[in-house]
Amino acid sequence: MEVGAIQIALIFIVTFIAAIDQFDFLESLYQPIVTGPIVGAILGNVELGLVVGGTYQLMTIGNMPIGGAQPPNAVIGGIMAAIFACTLENMDPNLAVATAIPFAMLGQYGVTLFFTLRAPLLEFFRGCAEKADTKGITKWTIVSEVILGLIFAVIVTLFFIAGLAVGQQVVDAIPEWLNTGLSQAGNMMKFVGFAILLKIMMSRDMWGFFFMGFGLALIATNIPAISGPALLILTLIGFGIAFWDFQQQTELKGAVADGGDMEDGI
Amino acid sequence: MASNEFVVPERYEDLTPAPNVDQKTLNRMALRSCWLQSSFNYETMQSGGWLFAMIPGLEKVHTNKNDLAASMYHNLDFINTHPFLVTFVMGIVLSLEQNKVDTQTIRAVRISAASPLGGIGDALFWLTLVPITAGITSNMALEGNIIAPIIFLVIFNAAQFACRFGLMNWSYKVGTSAIDALTANMQAFTRAASILGVFVVGALTVTMGATQINLTIPNGTTRGLSATTVVVSNEEAENFADLAVDTETAEAGTLAMTDMEGNALTAADADGNAVTTGIVDLGNGMSQVTYGTVTESPVSYSVASTLDSVMPKLVPLALVMLLYFLFAKHNFTPIKGIILLLVIGILGSGCGLWPSIW
Repeated sequence: MEVGAIQIALIFIVTFIAAIDQFDFLESLYQPIVTGPIVGAILGNVELGLVVGGTYQLMTIGNMPIGGAQPPNAVIGGIMAAIFACTLENMDPNLAVATAIPFAMLGQYGVTLFFTLRAPLLEFFRGCAEKADTKGITKWTIVSEVILGLIFAVIVTLFFIAGLAVGQQVVDAIPEWLNTGLSQAGNMMKFVGFAILLKIMMSRDMWGFFFMGFGLALIATNIPAISGPALLILTLIGFGIAFWDFQQQTELKGAVADGGDMEDGI
Repeated sequence: MASNEFVVPERYEDLTPAPNVDQKTLNRMALRSCWLQSSFNYETMQSGGWLFAMIPGLEKVHTNKNDLAASMYHNLDFINTHPFLVTFVMGIVLSLEQNKVDTQTIRAVRISAASPLGGIGDALFWLTLVPITAGITSNMALEGNIIAPIIFLVIFNAAQFACRFGLMNWSYKVGTSAIDALTANMQAFTRAASILGVFVVGALTVTMGATQINLTIPNGTTRGLSATTVVVSNEEAENFADLAVDTETAEAGTLAMTDMEGNALTAADADGNAVTTGIVDLGNGMSQVTYGTVTESPVSYSVASTLDSVMPKLVPLALVMLLYFLFAKHNFTPIKGIILLLVIGILGSGCGLWPSIW
């Protein structure tokens, strides 16, 4: 099938929007059931795109971004599947979805890498905050989103034009150790956020509560029946301890604490 | 980029509670909450988008520019909550900001209220709403029904925006009405909020910390005797009788019957049970011979299992405490912490030169 410049531009725009929408905005436009028919319309076969989108959607149910985990990327996967089905001959919807999976995996890896490398961008946010520059925050929010959108749009458009060969070359060009090192570093970065929070809240007599949270979480996460809602259960326990401490402190002061309202507060 | 880290004051300069913000501002905040993950990263996760969403309210309640700067800065703390339920936290935090509560209290309440919402939201949206609506509409799509994606979008977004706007208004109302009782006991409340805050961070270290040192070190070999039992004729059994071997020095594979003093050996059979070597005459011209074979097997020492036997999640705990120490005692800036972790991550992976520890 012949692909024109307008079609390439439209694929670029659709991917740009879907890439941003996967984390922000409506958080539903990016789903394959929506992108499928749109890509189909661009390439001249709405119905085929719709069927491919539905097929991909059924596969991704139960493969959601739960607990911060990154599933194979549905933006790249869904769009590539629709492109394959509409542009290649002898490509039925199921085969198109299967062929798109390696691209979705590549997208998953790219997202992890991107989230790791985006951390330094926060320094610009901090710089604006120090100057109470609210417009600056808006500016960097837009920059941040545009970078994300462009990366996805360029990658998908390249795949669209060049096909499978480019994808394989990109994957092969990255050495294994760099892969591992960056993803491990990304994995550890949340500890920076934790440590900063601790620096604010911690005082010498608070360490016990930190270790109590740690210890109880070890127990809760190792009991299969409650490991899912563990954090909620732990927060309830923590709340009980904090509330008890609040009552103790206010009674020591001789003040009358209005406990009932406290309950509504948090 | 800032060379010196900005210090957030304990108290705002202007401590007069601001009047309630209008409905329009709350609506703007709820709409902006759609961009919660706009600068999602692995250091502070949703913090950039959180600040972006909070700004209309913060601008209203902090007319003092220094206070606004301090507030904006501490609103960039680590936060990870559910995108569709975030307005619940926003309403509470806004009510605290409006009443000029100590910054430490606001920070502690924010992390405590935000963190447990992730699990609730995942259960409501990704595990219930999406599978049901997408499941039904996908089947319609497979039949070529073009209305399918539209139905999906309408249901999903109706639920999403009902959550965003409803929670924003409700939690702000609850926050502002409960605040008087709290400010009467401010110090105790700050302490209680911090207790819950550090408790939750301790729990997060376990639930979100996945770093482990998966290194195995070859640790020499272990020697043993594996037992074999055969039935042979009495003449052949004679050949086994004088297989005296020093099991400590013999090469692997050597057959052994007795030690150098002629005492019987103890070997392990296939099931790991201890068996004594020896020859038993079965009385029919045959003998049952149990002999040992010297074995030598490599032993590897697993760092992960040793660490886990001390305490699971020891590596995340150590890293959090190391970073806390660097931030609190050595004035490390967050960016230095990130660079340190990148260096640890890449050096640990071996750079292709030595074995990876991950």
